[in-house]
Amino acid sequence: MSKKIVLVVGIFVIATMILSSCAPKAVATLTPDEIAAVAAALPRNETLYFNGQQWGAVVGWNPYSSNNNNALVVAQQDSARVTVFETPYIYNMLDGQVYPLLADGPYTWNADMTEITFKINPAAKWSDGTAVTADDVAYTWDTNVKYETSAGTGNVDYIDSITAVDKHTVSVKAKLNEDGTAVNPLLVSAYISSNYVIQKAWTQKLEERSGYDATALKADTAEDFVASGPYTKFYVDETKVVLIRDDNYWGQDASLWGKLPVPKYLAHNIFADNDAGFAALKAGEVDVSQQFNANIQTLWLDDGLPISTYLPDAPYGIGASLPTAFYNLNSYGLDQLAVRKAIAYAVDYDTIIANAMTNQSATFTQVPRSLMNPTPGEQALYDHAAVASLQWAGSDVAGANAILDDAGIVDTDGDGWRELDGVKLSYVATCPNGWSDWQAAMEIVAAAGAGIGIEITTNYPEWDVYQTVVTKSDSPLPAGYDIFMMWSDGAGPTQPWGRIRHLISSEFVGMASNWNGNWGGYANPDADALIQAIPGMSDPVELKAAYTELVRIYLTDIPSFTLMYRPQSFHAVNESVWTNFPRSDDGTNPPVPPLDLTDGYSIAGLYNLELVNP
Amino acid sequence: LKGYWQYFLKKLAWFLVTLIAAFVLNFILPRLMPGDPVAVITQRVTQGMQSATGIQRIYEEYSNLFGTNRPMIEQFFLYVRNVFQGEFGFSFSFYPRQVADVIKSSIGWTIALQFPAIIVGWLIGNTLGALAAYLKGGFDKVIMPVSIFVSNFPAFGMAVILLVIFGITLKWFPISGGYGFDLIPSMSWKFIWSVIVHYQLPFWSIVLIAIGGQAIGMRSMSIYELNADYVKYSRFLGIKDRKIIGYVFRNAMLPQVTGLALSIGTMVGGALVAEIIFSYPGLGNTILKGVMGQDYPLISATTLIVTLMVLSANFIIEIIYGLIDPRIKATQAD
Repeated sequence: MSKKIVLVVGIFVIATMILSSCAPKAVATLTPDEIAAVAAALPRNETLYFNGQQWGAVVGWNPYSSNNNNALVVAQQDSARVTVFETPYIYNMLDGQVYPLLADGPYTWNADMTEITFKINPAAKWSDGTAVTADDVAYTWDTNVKYETSAGTGNVDYIDSITAVDKHTVSVKAKLNEDGTAVNPLLVSAYISSNYVIQKAWTQKLEERSGYDATALKADTAEDFVASGPYTKFYVDETKVVLIRDDNYWGQDASLWGKLPVPKYLAHNIFADNDAGFAALKAGEVDVSQQFNANIQTLWLDDGLPISTYLPDAPYGIGASLPTAFYNLNSYGLDQLAVRKAIAYAVDYDTIIANAMTNQSATFTQVPRSLMNPTPGEQALYDHAAVASLQWAGSDVAGANAILDDAGIVDTDGDGWRELDGVKLSYVATCPNGWSDWQAAMEIVAAAGAGIGIEITTNYPEWDVYQTVVTKSDSPLPAGYDIFMMWSDGAGPTQPWGRIRHLISSEFVGMASNWNGNWGGYANPDADALIQAIPGMSDPVELKAAYTELVRIYLTDIPSFTLMYRPQSFHAVNESVWTNFPRSDDGTNPPVPPLDLTDGYSIAGLYNLELVNP
Repeated sequence: LKGYWQYFLKKLAWFLVTLIAAFVLNFILPRLMPGDPVAVITQRVTQGMQSATGIQRIYEEYSNLFGTNRPMIEQFFLYVRNVFQGEFGFSFSFYPRQVADVIKSSIGWTIALQFPAIIVGWLIGNTLGALAAYLKGGFDKVIMPVSIFVSNFPAFGMAVILLVIFGITLKWFPISGGYGFDLIPSMSWKFIWSVIVHYQLPFWSIVLIAIGGQAIGMRSMSIYELNADYVKYSRFLGIKDRKIIGYVFRNAMLPQVTGLALSIGTMVGGALVAEIIFSYPGLGNTILKGVMGQDYPLISATTLIVTLMVLSANFIIEIIYGLIDPRIKATQAD
């Protein structure tokens, strides 16, 4: 081969590599000056790196859209992400309280609980320097309703109107029942801590360019957004997203934080999977990790890395949601309480927690089962003593066998399996394929069956198939879906009410596309009545009695059972560069929750960070 | 020339028939997958929403928007119209981005990774194969088994081995991303160097496997040619070895060129394994996301591109063969 060919190929290879590096610039949002400003590299001492939040490239920046795939920026949820856009209040999952963000002081209900009034902080400013006003809040709501955004469609059944009383005062009126009470006061108050306030002037610009068409408005990528939060867009391509601090951020006013958040840049490199993200965390290229890192404790115990979690020991984090095994109440025999109870009693939950979660969940001895997550706020909502006799911790094979024997469900033909009216009890436990922690849990559920004479096998359909089948609640579940796993709600201002409703309310049975819950088809009028009544209750004693009764019903009827506790967000930190992250013993008051310093009140953590080597 | 035209038209007709069949299959096959893509989207966008009727409305909105609630035949004509307009509609999983836009932003990375890897693997492999055939002896005894060994590595195996040895153990090269985790693309040496360094592991994981396969093929062809009559005759005539090797090389090269063209045709399918293991952005990753999210328009569009590239590469090779090798044309035209 001639030298010429080698030379040409060499030049070609290098040229393509350089071209490839230039490819992402097509979607970059940088001006040459900005590039020069960072001299091609983000200063490590000014940048906080994340993983586990952003998967795949960013699609847009539109706060009216639910399709931005922009994990650091847009997430209107229980603990809303407030790095760029802001909500009037922010929720703190540790104490169950909301704190003012754009708002000034606490909100107030009127005497009938039909209207909320709150003030906007006069210091609040948009990134273009104009003031955030009550009119912006009202216009945001009107836009959400008019263009049927998720925030609008999701709340229009509960909120009648949001209006500006004066420049800084907002009134939120609830939708009313025929008797004049609010349909759901809980969801009205939740709106103001989970939904963004968006600038009216910018919204009008957006409406105009999308021709007042709902689809076009929601499909707009909104590169020119105006926001009120501490960070804004800096750089984005197929491999990363970087936000930069707005040094004119209004929140440095004494009425809010009194200073700017510490990191100048928030950056999230896009990893292909958990393994790649895990390697980066170990290498110190990630400061805050929101992904499941199996056996996380080995990173500091064996590898001696400066990595830590919110709690120093297992379960390492605060559980917020309750991954649950649902019984298909139409499967033969599962309509029998004895069968449901026996299976639930026999399951070895400690092994599930050790295997599936590598002990990153509290056990049922530490936090006895109920309908509540392990946060102190929710645990205080029910009378523990009243239901203590109903709370099983699992692995009770003898107890489970006794329950079945007493119910007359025994092995009549001597094949080793119990029969009900002559028909062998045989079930399939299922969850989506590839969800390894869930699959591990289902295997242990199946193993429990063998010990009590009930045949349980496992089957794992692909997620696309699984979710289509499980969420179609207007027809019976097909064969193979006898015991199946789904999630439950995490922590939020509507919890634990929302979670309980999703677990046991019969209102979802019969829906063509049921993404809410109660997939097993459970119906109990008493439970329904309590679920209906709780949002209107304001007396703590009455509320506690209602929640205790719901827990009693749930643990008595066992339409489904919790398998483990799972955190709202995983939260592990590498302290090679930054330190003073939220920790259970950090002494903050109110306590900063371990939600990656981006969600709800955990944003407060960004103001407390310190450099390891200043 | 009449014979050649006949040959050309026949090939063209086959090209079109295959293309149409593939086009229809590209549309139908993804839609035969069980499951409902709109349910996945609804789940994603309604997380935490408490209103049951609201969720129902959102489901219906997306069904209307993507047309998944229309009859299959209607969806097909919509798809045909979109394709002829040069767009493929909205991507389900990357909505509101257009499919064309999604592909555009990742295809650059794929070509930059695959094209040089295929060329370099092909050149090195063929050189080694030809040398093994010509030099024989010790060189061949080493090259041949090593080539067989290496070419049979599954792609993920090679990628993981390189990652563990050179990335994790020796720490010579970074193990993920297209460039440094702390960099912003710019025309600085630091950045260009970072791209080159990040490029190495995914690049060599593809090249090493390609080398083995090419070397084996080239060695067999060369041995066949070296024993051909014209080589022996040339030796009798006293023509220099160097000259003879040139002829041998050129003749042995023909089937290898076909292989090269086909590899380039399938290239846009992306180096899925390398892209995933090294978190390298590219079309392979995009296709995988499309399949996982039942993103019909994205799957149809990417498979259509792969189909077109492969069919075109095949077609062009056959046409060129017809021109340069009269025997093929003669047999085909009969």
